[in-house]
Amino acid sequence: MPRCTRRSFLASAGLALWALVLRRPAALAARPAEARRDIPWKVQQVLKQLFGDRPIGEGHVQLDVPTVAADGRVVPVMIESDLPMTPERYVKAIHLLVDNNPDIHLAEFRLTPAVGQAFLSTRIKMRMTSPVRAIVETSDGALSWAAAEVRVTVNGCG
Amino acid sequence: MRARRARRARLEIGAARIVVPGTIRPGDVIDVRALIEHPMHTGLFRDPDGNPIPAHFITDVRVTYGGEEVARFVWTSGISRDPFVEFPLRADREAELKIVWQDNRGGVFERSADIRFGP
Repeated sequence: MPRCTRRSFLASAGLALWALVLRRPAALAARPAEARRDIPWKVQQVLKQLFGDRPIGEGHVQLDVPTVAADGRVVPVMIESDLPMTPERYVKAIHLLVDNNPDIHLAEFRLTPAVGQAFLSTRIKMRMTSPVRAIVETSDGALSWAAAEVRVTVNGCG
Repeated sequence: MRARRARRARLEIGAARIVVPGTIRPGDVIDVRALIEHPMHTGLFRDPDGNPIPAHFITDVRVTYGGEEVARFVWTSGISRDPFVEFPLRADREAELKIVWQDNRGGVFERSADIRFGP
């Protein structure tokens, strides 16, 4: 009996393909849920300095950045959170971190309930291709973040 | 040409604009857009003659609404030249919206906009 018939080959090839298809969404889903230990050491240091060992959750943060930035001197960034802005609980600060910039903790935007909504839009400089991270800190100390990779073709930091 | 551009840049540092919607109803969450002209030098670049350009950037932005601080931004030189920022504000009273930008060399620049209801 032949060991590799056309049928058995097709069956195994199909299985392999199916396995690949199954793996992809799993890998995609795992990327945003990046564990803190997978973050570059220098960024971990900054996080530790800012927030100590407080856990950083997911969700409630929407970060809007271009996937490719032609000019690293001007990269538009938009951060939005659907968390309420009530005096009892509100978004106290939005932190912006860029892993591969000389200054990783690029900016901190402190808000109060008086703004009515957690939203921010600005333009930043990026030295090179890097993840951009937006961390939302609520008045009760909870942290939540979103990250996105921006490809940079022109250095904007010198 | 270069000299003229440099002179112009120096003259315009601190020139700021605040844009709020033309029509505001009480209780609206409005979009406030603020732009200030500032070089935001990182201190990492050199001029065309090879001399380092010293760091000169805005470090602190305070937003007050009717005298009450509603937002405060802490910046580094990583914010782009001529910093732009857009943020919301709940317009619950007619009052003055004031933004004060402060840079690392002691420069203080301020600009106000009036929040008025009606068309």
